[in-house]
Amino acid sequence: MDAAILIDSLPSLLKATIMTLFLSCISVVIALVIGFSTALIRILKVKILNEIASMYISIIRGTPLLVQIFVIYYGLPQIGISLDPISSGIMALSLNAGAYLSESFRASILAVDRGQMEAAISMGMTYGQAMRRIILPQSLRIAIPTLSNSFIVLVKDTSLVSVITVTELLQMSSLIIAKTFEPLTIYLVAAAIYWILITFFTTMLDKLEKRSSKYLAR
Amino acid sequence: MKIIQVKNLKKPFGSNPVLRGVDLTVDKSEVVVIMGPSGSGKSTFLRCLTYLEEPNEGLIQIGPHELHTGGKLDRKRKKEIREMRKKTGFVFQSFNLFPNKTAIENVMEGPMTINGVKAAAAKELAVSLLNKVGLGDRSDHYPVQLSGGQQQRVAIARALSLNPTVMLYDEPTSALDPELVREVLQVIKELAEEGMTMVIVTHEMNFARDVADRVIFMDDGYIVEQGTPQEIFDHPKEERTKQFLMMTK
Repeated sequence: MDAAILIDSLPSLLKATIMTLFLSCISVVIALVIGFSTALIRILKVKILNEIASMYISIIRGTPLLVQIFVIYYGLPQIGISLDPISSGIMALSLNAGAYLSESFRASILAVDRGQMEAAISMGMTYGQAMRRIILPQSLRIAIPTLSNSFIVLVKDTSLVSVITVTELLQMSSLIIAKTFEPLTIYLVAAAIYWILITFFTTMLDKLEKRSSKYLAR
Repeated sequence: MKIIQVKNLKKPFGSNPVLRGVDLTVDKSEVVVIMGPSGSGKSTFLRCLTYLEEPNEGLIQIGPHELHTGGKLDRKRKKEIREMRKKTGFVFQSFNLFPNKTAIENVMEGPMTINGVKAAAAKELAVSLLNKVGLGDRSDHYPVQLSGGQQQRVAIARALSLNPTVMLYDEPTSALDPELVREVLQVIKELAEEGMTMVIVTHEMNFARDVADRVIFMDDGYIVEQGTPQEIFDHPKEERTKQFLMMTK
């Protein structure tokens, strides 16, 4: 192994890491919106939308992410929807994570003790007030561990959009290897970067969970 | 003056008729204790009064709010139910305090969210209510940091926060360790002495004797017998009441 190769490739790898972070962060924000709203639609059993949401979740969870990426990037242009690789990647990642987050949100809302809703409405709150003020804040705390797990999966899944030529961390590594013929070194560096990123996020999310659970400590 | 009036209240759970037609009137400042074996419908009756269970048939009137049951739950009706609930403080067996809020926040929640009271005014009210139930020094504790008796007293303060005309208690001491029962009953007794109108489902006979103006014995979805505590406990007329009292002695 040549240390010079490593030093030469580091700037490119770090730049690609920023792309990985960008994909993760944008996708998780969109996925949170999708997940939260579909969870509410399903809890409230909103007519028609409920069926659409269930179908969406079923399809996403029942098909590989790689297939979803191909459908969006190579398939959609056939019906006139052409997205650039980055937009396709973001769309696939957020639709995918959104379905999983939806299930986490839904489970966590249902996990709040029934007596909480009763206490709130028995005072004269509307269903919406009870949800906003009492149920959702408690369910978010319950959801944090599964949400952070989904986020970690999402960060790793960004590597899949390398197949549609998005120059994120994995794609950049392959490009560098094509020039340097140092697969072991470069892939290990890429792996290390993923590991550092995910360890960082895990630590942060653990802290968030601890802080949000402080009212449970005696 | 009648505060609560219930006529022919019926509620089945599936094919099981839990309430078979219950009538009740409660006067202002009256304290009514409802007793009966489990499954007699007493908790369901109390929950129907505030529409935590929706009765199928009958009329409920609390203060100026009158609700005929069985109608469609449209906007207008939901609003009527909410108005009635605001004037009806409900205390649960399992307290149901909001675990992510401190004692004082639990008491402030109703006035702020429901009546739009400003934080400062809600806080002042909450402090006085927590003092009233003897927990002025626990206001910043989370429910998990309080004993069961303390939690139930916070729950009573919370139920009082919307200035109800009636207080309903669904077995308020049944989830408590024996040594904590008294502090909760003491608070309820003080409210009775202040003239609060109350309906209490409880198994505490000594408390009923001490505080109730009227004791109601329910069984199998009916009111079997009612009267003063002396009449019910010392000279019950109905065979079912006698049996129940024998069993619990």
